[in-house]
Amino acid sequence: MTNDLIDLIIKYSELEKIVGLEISDTFMGKVYRSSLWRYPKRILSFLLTELFVFGLIIIFCLPVGLIVARNFNGFTEDSNNTVPFLGITLGISVAIACLWNLYMWFKVKEMKALARLLDEVDRHNEIIQGVQIVDELSAASNSGIVLSERHQAIEALNATRETLVCALMTERILRKHQRFIARRYELFANIESNLATLQHLQVNSQANEYADLIGQALQIGAIVRQEIDRLNN
Amino acid sequence: MNPFAVLINLLRDRTNFLIEISKGIKLESKIFSLLVASSVFLAIYGAIIGASHSWMQSLSSAVKLPALYLITLIICLPTLYFFDILFGSALTFGQYAALSLTTVSVISVLLFSFAPITLFILVSIHDYLFFQLLNVGIFSFTGIVGVKLFYDGMQSLTKIAANSELKSESEEVKPEYANQQTRDRLLQFWLILYGLVGSQLGWTLRPFFGAPSEPFQLFRNIEGNFYAQVFRAVLTLLGAN
Repeated sequence: MTNDLIDLIIKYSELEKIVGLEISDTFMGKVYRSSLWRYPKRILSFLLTELFVFGLIIIFCLPVGLIVARNFNGFTEDSNNTVPFLGITLGISVAIACLWNLYMWFKVKEMKALARLLDEVDRHNEIIQGVQIVDELSAASNSGIVLSERHQAIEALNATRETLVCALMTERILRKHQRFIARRYELFANIESNLATLQHLQVNSQANEYADLIGQALQIGAIVRQEIDRLNN
Repeated sequence: MNPFAVLINLLRDRTNFLIEISKGIKLESKIFSLLVASSVFLAIYGAIIGASHSWMQSLSSAVKLPALYLITLIICLPTLYFFDILFGSALTFGQYAALSLTTVSVISVLLFSFAPITLFILVSIHDYLFFQLLNVGIFSFTGIVGVKLFYDGMQSLTKIAANSELKSESEEVKPEYANQQTRDRLLQFWLILYGLVGSQLGWTLRPFFGAPSEPFQLFRNIEGNFYAQVFRAVLTLLGAN
């Protein structure tokens, strides 16, 4: 991948600094990303995490079950005495696991905007992969795509990147301080100007190989603006 | 976030891992990953030692062995944290938790590395007492190595903190060193405490192996203590009754 494309990618490490949360394919902070249900691999990763968490909960609930069962019955060679212990331990574990999932479900609702923005970041990164493929194809077929067309695509992606970063920063500020903050107007203005750049680029590049990618970048910009408008209201 | 990748990072570059802990970088994911990775390895070793009795014992030990190490940590961690902050430590509870989990993780990896040997002994030698004593040896050895690494880790973390303090305020360093000595002694005391609590908790959660002459039991009634039983086992093996 060329350096200009590498610079355009929004990496998870950079995202974590902007958003202030640990980001992965499956999780944003302690909450799962709602988009994970669209990808089988991410579902598997999420289910594995659930399994690990349930295992850990059982381990930490073991003493509680042991204390309760010892106080009531004691443990003898009769295996029937293990039933209350298993009942208590598993009961508490399932209850804690349900509470954890309920907490995540509520939090996912609260962080819907961030989840959408992160999905758009993924899409932005996929578009960069797309540009990379077009680059490789044109190099292989020697089709001689005009350099200015590629330049326009890069410019569009640059604007999308800036828009996404601004939107993520705005979301963080709004998440942390729900009330009015002066800085957000500056960020909104930035997003608006980037969107205008994208629209201008799309009009200029209706009929080249990168037009579709620029169109997608414009879509990302529009979705980000919608999300920010929603946050603003 | 791959728990095993975090553990591999710890094993490959412990110094950098400790520096990250001292800076509080990704502390929560480190704690979760170390909890998961160490539980899985301990569960595997637990299942092997339980297999000397029956599949039910194997299943039971697979849960009880991680519980033994992690609950011991939960019991002992507040003592270390509160005493250490009393003597001037600036680390947070999360940092202490991550640090002590590195010990459990190292122990779990070492136990996992002994698993093929234990499995071989289990299959080839049908002697319950020998198997029991061999495992006491393995647990002691891995415990000592893990604790030594923890002690070294704490020392290097303190050095990192002292260096950063030296840079920021060079005049107020002397009282810090006096506190440092106390904290070192405190850490040594805590490690002994950790060992004592761990052994007794192990005794409370027994059986892990399951005596071949007895039917499967999830837990036994509390009687005696761990040290008396090890002493008895050594005497029996030497032929004294």
